[in-house]
Amino acid sequence: MAKVDIKKLKNIVGKDNVRDDPGTRYVYGSDSSVHESFAWVVVRPETKEQVQKIVRYANSEKIPIIARGSGSGMSGQAVPINGGIVLDLKKMNKIIEINLEDGYCRVEAGVIDDDLNRALKPHGVFYPVAPASSRVATIGGEIANNASGVRSVKYGAVRDSVLGMEVVMANGDLVHLGSRTRVEAAGYQMDRLMVGSEGTLGIIVEAMLKFVPIPKYRCLGVANFNTLEEAGDTIAAVMSSGAQPSLLELMDNVAITAVNKTMDMGLPDVEAILMFEADGMVKEAVDFEIEKMKKICEDNNGFGIEYSYEADKRTKLFAGRKKLFPALSKYKDLYSCTSLADDMAVPYSKMTKMARKIHEIAKKNNVIMTAYGHCGSGCMHTKILMDATKGKQWYNAKNAVKEIYEYVAEMGGTTSAEHGIGLSKAPAFKLEKKDSLPFMKAIKHALDPNNILNPGKMMDAPDDWVTATKLRYNVN
Amino acid sequence: METKYLKKWEEDLNRCIRCGYCFEGCPIFKNQGWEVDGARGKLVLAYGLLNKDLEPSDFINQKLFECTFCKDCVERCSANVSVPDIISAVRSDLYEAGFHNDTHDQLLEKIKVSGNIFNQKLSPPSFKGEKSVLLGCRLLERKDDSRKYLDLLEKLGLKPKTFDETCCGMPFAVLGDKEGFSNQQNKFRETLPNADEEFICVCTTCVFFIQKKYPDLKAKYIINEIVERLPKYKNKIEKLNVKVTYHDPCNVARGLDMVDEPRWLLNEIGADVIEMSTYGKEAECCGGGGGLLVTDKKLADQLAFNRVKQALETKADYLVTLCPTCELNLKNAAAEFDSRIQVLNVLDLLAEAIH
Repeated sequence: MAKVDIKKLKNIVGKDNVRDDPGTRYVYGSDSSVHESFAWVVVRPETKEQVQKIVRYANSEKIPIIARGSGSGMSGQAVPINGGIVLDLKKMNKIIEINLEDGYCRVEAGVIDDDLNRALKPHGVFYPVAPASSRVATIGGEIANNASGVRSVKYGAVRDSVLGMEVVMANGDLVHLGSRTRVEAAGYQMDRLMVGSEGTLGIIVEAMLKFVPIPKYRCLGVANFNTLEEAGDTIAAVMSSGAQPSLLELMDNVAITAVNKTMDMGLPDVEAILMFEADGMVKEAVDFEIEKMKKICEDNNGFGIEYSYEADKRTKLFAGRKKLFPALSKYKDLYSCTSLADDMAVPYSKMTKMARKIHEIAKKNNVIMTAYGHCGSGCMHTKILMDATKGKQWYNAKNAVKEIYEYVAEMGGTTSAEHGIGLSKAPAFKLEKKDSLPFMKAIKHALDPNNILNPGKMMDAPDDWVTATKLRYNVN
Repeated sequence: METKYLKKWEEDLNRCIRCGYCFEGCPIFKNQGWEVDGARGKLVLAYGLLNKDLEPSDFINQKLFECTFCKDCVERCSANVSVPDIISAVRSDLYEAGFHNDTHDQLLEKIKVSGNIFNQKLSPPSFKGEKSVLLGCRLLERKDDSRKYLDLLEKLGLKPKTFDETCCGMPFAVLGDKEGFSNQQNKFRETLPNADEEFICVCTTCVFFIQKKYPDLKAKYIINEIVERLPKYKNKIEKLNVKVTYHDPCNVARGLDMVDEPRWLLNEIGADVIEMSTYGKEAECCGGGGGLLVTDKKLADQLAFNRVKQALETKADYLVTLCPTCELNLKNAAAEFDSRIQVLNVLDLLAEAIH
């Protein structure tokens, strides 16, 4: 562990905002991924100026610096693989401005997604990104990850909601990127470069986000299918029909079983469940979309279809999906739910094949995998359920991950839809983006010549994700 | 450090996916802000101790005792990781490794000597009826109040029978003294008039703890008893016409899964319930549980202060609750606000309204 001038950091942010005890360093060394490491020190700045000073110091001493929101990333983005200063941005949580006239809000990076939407709600607008982790995820983390969520089919990902941002660069300079306008063609789209950069190009400290009107009507429907193929065909058919869902979610049988086991919801024991939603200001328009999607479900042998406008009923219909991710942890005794091959995106017409292949690869490698996700945007999620204490299972998992992403590539898909690359998806990412890797490295070098900003991630991550860091499990 | 108690929870620790959802409502995290303060952070610390990535220290010990066992994390965790049980286990390992807080030891010594948390000779009011009623330490010390609550039960047709009580042992379990708990468990069982018979429990913490740790005993919560009896005695009610805000004790709302019953009772006696910004299963903890009052009183007071602030926003006349520890903690905090809101137990209002 290199020497960090703790006193200097305390002078910048105050002694109560710096910790270098082993417990804190260990806790901040992990996130929602399978990786863990040790931070050298954790610092909680409260202002942009403090962030600048810390970064300037880190750059002068070539100390790694890793920005962190809530640490809910699943690919190891926030894990300090090479040690360094972990910059906990959660104290920078002010909603600075809500400008209804110009249709944007300005928030500090540590604002929690749900808190932003609570503040926007009285104004009749919302920030529509909606990742499952919105209750804890920070705006800065979401931007750094190009997160998206259940409504991505209609409202896109974070990059579609970001108008601009303020970023502290590796040399400590504070720069303003993007604008506050809906359109901008003034040179390189540098704010877009930062979106999804996972803290490797700059530290986002403030964001300008657009919001959209809260729809007056929302109608959520559910349809059951006896085969994955029928569900997959429905997805492709919906997306090519001209229908405009605001949500289109898939759950396979593994996911259904997990939810029933932990939440006792009594979901039907079918191969697949699709949830479809339409929203808007005019009820007749929403009715039209819902009827269209319902018919497509029926045409593809969907059954037990129900839908509702009522908030309570919609919450109930969606409850299982909302908590699915952690529910997978209870699928089988001694099995852990690991964030591996956790997300990808494939063309709609390939979704069914992808889901089937996931199950096939799981069976072949003696692990359990599930297929679910925001299929309306082509996003498929899975997890690997395995006994994480067994070395052989990690060997199997490694093979499964490799095969999954080889098939994703074959299907013309991409390594990550919304969870980002970090460490665990780096090998597949490097293969997918082999043409543009040199550009990425050149940009990284240009913007961070001392390689202090979240080093060892994405294109610079180790080729073997299993050994990239210590795994957070006690593996025999 | 040997981790013989924590080892039993290794599967749960592996099951935790570290999603961080437990941060959302964790009162310690919300107040302190470091991830190590929140439920996920505590699980990671426990995991570090289990795997020997971490050595125990005063700091880690302190962090693992800064938990009120409010169970908000349990509500939010869909993987059903039993955070309080894991923290309880690691506390036991730390205790046996010699990490004792003086304040913890002093409290436990009081119980060993006197059978209650006050180190006083405490006897319940004398009621020689048929149904045994356990008051719990806090109410034993408040003799006028316990008499009032026993009278309330009589008004509802129950014939309470009090007995010389001893502590149910909860402080030992929560503070990690397994051997102490085992000894106290035996003493507690010996004081029960008849271990095979159902008895009424007035103290919220005791009834939750007894139902969990003494599953063979038939401890019935007083509120369940009153809810069953009240319909037959509606003619005895003189409505109060007051505005109250109700603080859901963690052990009632999340522990006993009881949210509607206290509100129903309050409505029946003419107390209009105005909810705070967090209520029911999302009610914020007052800071009184998990031994926090003896671990870090200042932190416990801060949580109570925050809760009273929420209560004041409702502009209710009274802040009412069921748990005697919540009641005391909130009362002390309300004094910081010049007692602009009066803190009472729900049973006080019931006793006033039912003649």
